[in-house]
Amino acid sequence: MSGPALRIRGLRKAFPKVVAVDGVDLEVARGEVFGLLGPNGAGKTTTLEIIEGLTTADAGEIEILGLTWEKNGKEIRARFGVQLQSTSLFNKITPREALDLYGSYYPKRRPTQELLELVQLEEKADAYHVTLSGGQQQRLALALALVNDPELVFLDEPTTGLDPQARRGLWDVVKRMKSEGRTVVLTTHYMDEAEALCDRLAIMDHGRVIATGTPATLISDLAMPSVVELTFEGAAPDPAAFAARLGQAVEPRSDLWEIRTPDPKALLPRLLEAVEAAAIPFQQVHIRRATLEDVFLQRTGRSLRE
Amino acid sequence: MLWRQFAMEWRLYSRDRVALFWTMAFPVLLLLGFGVMFRDNAGPKLTIVRVQSSAPTALDQALDQAMADLHLQVQTLSKAEAEARWSRSETAAQLEPEGSGYRLRLNSYLLAQAGAAAGLANQAYLLAQARLNGAPEPQRIPVQMESPGRRRSASYVTFLLPGLLGLNLVSMGLFAVGMTNVTYREKGKFRRLAVTPLPKWIFLLGQVLHRLTLTVAQAALLILVGRLVFGIQNQGSFLDLLVIMTLGTGCFMAIGFALSGFADTAEGYGAISNLVFFPLMMLSGVYFTLDSAPAWLQQVVALLPLAPFIRALRAVFNDGGSLAGHGLGLSIVGTWALGAFLVALRRFRWA
Repeated sequence: MSGPALRIRGLRKAFPKVVAVDGVDLEVARGEVFGLLGPNGAGKTTTLEIIEGLTTADAGEIEILGLTWEKNGKEIRARFGVQLQSTSLFNKITPREALDLYGSYYPKRRPTQELLELVQLEEKADAYHVTLSGGQQQRLALALALVNDPELVFLDEPTTGLDPQARRGLWDVVKRMKSEGRTVVLTTHYMDEAEALCDRLAIMDHGRVIATGTPATLISDLAMPSVVELTFEGAAPDPAAFAARLGQAVEPRSDLWEIRTPDPKALLPRLLEAVEAAAIPFQQVHIRRATLEDVFLQRTGRSLRE
Repeated sequence: MLWRQFAMEWRLYSRDRVALFWTMAFPVLLLLGFGVMFRDNAGPKLTIVRVQSSAPTALDQALDQAMADLHLQVQTLSKAEAEARWSRSETAAQLEPEGSGYRLRLNSYLLAQAGAAAGLANQAYLLAQARLNGAPEPQRIPVQMESPGRRRSASYVTFLLPGLLGLNLVSMGLFAVGMTNVTYREKGKFRRLAVTPLPKWIFLLGQVLHRLTLTVAQAALLILVGRLVFGIQNQGSFLDLLVIMTLGTGCFMAIGFALSGFADTAEGYGAISNLVFFPLMMLSGVYFTLDSAPAWLQQVVALLPLAPFIRALRAVFNDGGSLAGHGLGLSIVGTWALGAFLVALRRFRWA
C-alpha cells in the first residue's frame, strides 16, 4: 500500500471531430476524494472512461493502484468500483438481484443487505429497476460501485439530474466512502459539489487540466480572490461608463455587476464614491470570497454553466 | 459463476411474459397452421380452373370425370369469372376450350403447382380420349411418397415437423438472439459489465445455454402438441433427438452471436442476418434440390450446417434412424458451433 492510487501522464484521445483529452497529467493520493471539475464537453468523462478501461487512449500512461491495464487488467477490475454516467441495467432486475449478481463476479464482496442499507434502498430492494426513480437508480449504481469493497472508486457525475435532497443523500455516501479509507475520483460540473466533497480538484477545460489544488488554495491563489457585487432591481444596466469612471473592470451578470479585486477594503470607498457620482440605482452591495466558479471564470473567461 | 449467469438469464427472461409466451407459441402455431392447411393428410392439393364450354361435349364430360378420378380438383367457372380470377393471380393453372380441343395456361409466378396440375390434366386428357374411343385404359406408373429413410405416412404434417423445428432454431439464432444482443449493446446494457472482472466467455456461454434450454423446451412443446393433435410420433430415440437439437441450437445461437459482433446497430444487424439467412435457407438443399447449381457451389454448400442438421433430425424423428450414419454431418454442425463461438468471443464488445 504505497504510492499514489492513480497516476496519469500525457493522456491523449482524439475523436474524428474533436480532441477530447489533450495531454492530461493527474496524480491522486490514496484515501483522498479527488474531483474533475469542468463544463460539459471538457473531457472529464472521456478521461474517466480511459482510466476505467472502457475507451483506449491514443497516448499516455496510466497506473491504477500501481497496476497497468496491459499487464493487470483483471486485477484492476477486481479492485476498483465504477459508477458510470448512466447505468443502464435490465429493466426487470431488482436491486437485490443486481447486487447479488454483480457481487458474484468478484472474489471479495460486501453483503447485499449492507449495501442496500448504505444507500437506503431496503424498501425498494425487490422492485424492478425500471420502476425506480432517478435518484434511486443512481443510489443503486453507487451501491454497485461498492459491491466488491473497492480500494478505489470512480463516480461519473453522480448527482446530475437529481433533486437537492437526493444530492445531499449521495454526498453523504461519498463522505462515508472517504471515512472508510477508500480513494474516490469523481467528475462534476457543480462547483458546490466539488467544494463540499473534494479534498483536491483538477479543473478541466477543452481536454486540458487548467488548475489543480485544494478548493481553498485554488481560490486563494487567484489574483483577485474577492468579488464585490452590486445587485439591481431587474436587469443590470450597461456598466461600460461606470467601469471607466471607476478605473476597474466591471462584469455584468443578468441582474448584478461583479467587480473582482485583490483588496476589497481599498476598493470599497472608491466604489461608493463612483456610485454616488454616477447615480447608479443599485439595491445592495455584497462582498464575497471568490468561488470555484470564479476560478474557472478567471482562468477561461467563461462560466462553468455555459 | 457460469451457473449463476445462466440462472439469471432465465429469471430475467421469464419475467417478460409476452416474449416467453410468443416464443413458445410460435412454432406450435406454425404447426397448427400447416395442419389446418393440409387437413386431409395428403399434402398440398392441386387445383385447376376449368373455363366452361358454351356447349359441353362428350369429351368435356369425359375429361371432367378423368380429372376427378386423378384427384385433380376442378373449379368450373364462366369465361368472365375465370379471367377475373386469373387477373388476381389466384389461379395456378387454367384449362380453357380452344377450337375443338383445349389449351392450358400456367401462371408464371406459381410454376411448381401449375406444372404439376398441368401434368395431371394431360394424363386425364389421355384417359378421357381412350375412354371415348373405347380403347383399353392406359396404365399409369404407380407413385409412392416416401421419406429418405423409407418411411411412409398418410400424414403430410408428419414430414413437416422436423423442418419446423429446424426453421425455428435458425430464426431464433439468427434473428432473436443476434438482434437482442445488438439492441442491448446499443442501449448500453452491457457497459456496466465491462468494468467488472466477468469474463466474456462466461457471459456469452451463459446466454447460449439459456437459449439452448429455451429451444429444447420449445421443441418439447412442439413435439407434444404434434402428438396430441396430429398423432405424430417420434420414431427415433429422444436421446438422439436431444443430442441433435443441442448441437444444432449451439451452432445457430453461436452464429447469431458471431454475426452480432459485426453490426453496430439493430438496422445493420437486420441487413447482415438476412444476408446470411437467405443463402443458408436457399442453398441448404433442404427445401429445394440443388441439382442445377454448378458443381463447385454444391461442394461449398455441402459444408453449410443447416442441411446435415435437418437431415439428421428428420432421419431420427421420422425414420427412427440412429446417429450412426450422421457422424460427418453432425461434426460439420459441431465445428460450426465451435468456430462461431470463437468468432463471437473474439468480436464481442461490451459497448
